[in-house]
Amino acid sequence: MYALEINHVNKYYDTFKALHDIDFTIGQGEFVGLLGVNGAGKTSLISSIAGINRFNGSIKVMGYDVIANLVKAKSLLGVVPQELAFDPFLTVHQTLKFQSGLYGVRDNKDWIDEIIERLHLKDKINANVRALSGGMKRRLMVAQALVHKPPLIILDEPTTGVDVEIRQSLWGFIGELHQKGHTILLTTHYLEEVERLCNKIIMMDKGHIIAKDTKSVFMNKCSNLSSSLDVLIQEDKCPDELLSLIIAKKDTTYTFKLNDSSDIANILTVLNKSNIKFDNINIKKPSLEDAFISLLNRG
Amino acid sequence: MFPYLELVKKEVYRFLSIWLQTLLGPLSTALLYQLIFGHHLAEMQTGIDGVTYNTFLIPGLVIMQVLLNSFGNGSSSIIQSKYTGNIIYILMAPITPFVVYVAYLTASIIRGVLVGVVIYCGIVWFGDNIIPKAPWVLLFFLIIGASITAGLGLIAGIISEKFEQLAGFQSFIMVPLIYLAGIFFNPNNFTNAWQKIVMINPFMYIVDGFRYGCIGYSSYNLTFGVIFVLCSAIIVNIIGYSLIQSGIKLKH
Repeated sequence: MYALEINHVNKYYDTFKALHDIDFTIGQGEFVGLLGVNGAGKTSLISSIAGINRFNGSIKVMGYDVIANLVKAKSLLGVVPQELAFDPFLTVHQTLKFQSGLYGVRDNKDWIDEIIERLHLKDKINANVRALSGGMKRRLMVAQALVHKPPLIILDEPTTGVDVEIRQSLWGFIGELHQKGHTILLTTHYLEEVERLCNKIIMMDKGHIIAKDTKSVFMNKCSNLSSSLDVLIQEDKCPDELLSLIIAKKDTTYTFKLNDSSDIANILTVLNKSNIKFDNINIKKPSLEDAFISLLNRG
Repeated sequence: MFPYLELVKKEVYRFLSIWLQTLLGPLSTALLYQLIFGHHLAEMQTGIDGVTYNTFLIPGLVIMQVLLNSFGNGSSSIIQSKYTGNIIYILMAPITPFVVYVAYLTASIIRGVLVGVVIYCGIVWFGDNIIPKAPWVLLFFLIIGASITAGLGLIAGIISEKFEQLAGFQSFIMVPLIYLAGIFFNPNNFTNAWQKIVMINPFMYIVDGFRYGCIGYSSYNLTFGVIFVLCSAIIVNIIGYSLIQSGIKLKH
């Protein structure tokens, strides 16, 4: 049984087609990154899974159809929506208690306390939600999605506006949940988060799926991307033999294209022979971001 | 059942947390109406033998605020949730549209009834004591009447995309229906044409029935009123539930 099964899902907003025959599965225990530029259809897809959007096709959460078995399917799903949304009449604690109630969970105090602690909201437990900063509201939304311990967790840009330290702590918490067997589907504009956390990547563009692979296969598909070498050259001059390899220059830091690993030795030899002093050498492998941009440009 | 109770509890908490506006505001309005109309038009004929204008007026004032506040609860809760975006937590929750609708309806009726109790207590406090003559009739028209306006409030909240549209619904539908419901006068005193119009106003039967429950006198056939009001409640709430169930103006 898949954690999430999307079969031929199409979504229209009036005459605009936002999702084109989306079809994929996510196995239980996977940590999947859903990537795409703004308007690619990620949020439309997530809203369809969450029951906020009407759509054509079929979506199953842990084997339960989100239309035919609405109550069961939704109880197995926790979603952090992209837009900030909160009840202005409630405090942090009341919000989580009410959310537990909506999911039919009684006596959830211990878990609520743990979530509040782990998401650094303890100081604000009795504060009205209106009084929270944007980052705190975002963390509260994450807490709301986790309050019923759903086996499938969908995070739609959960770290927007969250500062670096707490973002790391949040990922630590989500990572623990993943280790305990929760399936995670994540969208974010911080691609290094996806690169670090996810083992599978689904990429969307203009409402279409343009890639769905494990992270290693995804990166291999972009094998035409080359590594590069950053060198800080002290006198801001570069030998003529290396000019054709320059792909970027910032101040006196030159970025050279590496076609293979032997190029590193060749570049440094040429610099030595030319009596050019250098330091701060940095080899850069192609990142997920490079692969992402490369795939988008291909499309 | 548990999610239903939690949603009702949250909605009741919402209006109780702003009690000055939701409970004392209607009391103040009702007392002012009673002061101005009840005492200054004390000699006005009610069309019912032995019933003074003040006695005639008080049940009308109570049920008027019940109806208005039941309407206001559902409509404001839904449109605020749409504006702040937190309606998605209801839409994403594992509860059926039926449970969602009934929970909002229940909370709206509770607010209407609470407002009615507060106004009744306020009026008694200021010296006018009306002991209900037919409590079961009173309860029927109180709750079923409130369910009609609660349903209308939910419909208005769902279909309105802006506060302006909601205000229009209130100004052009609710207010005329309320003011032509025989709260301040006996509809029998109307001329023929107007009387035919008020005869199809379900609020008129709610007010008339509620007044019967309070003072034991009605201007129209009570059985017909019961049937008319019950049918109106069923129709309004079927429409309201259909809107929630279809997701119109709630889901994309």
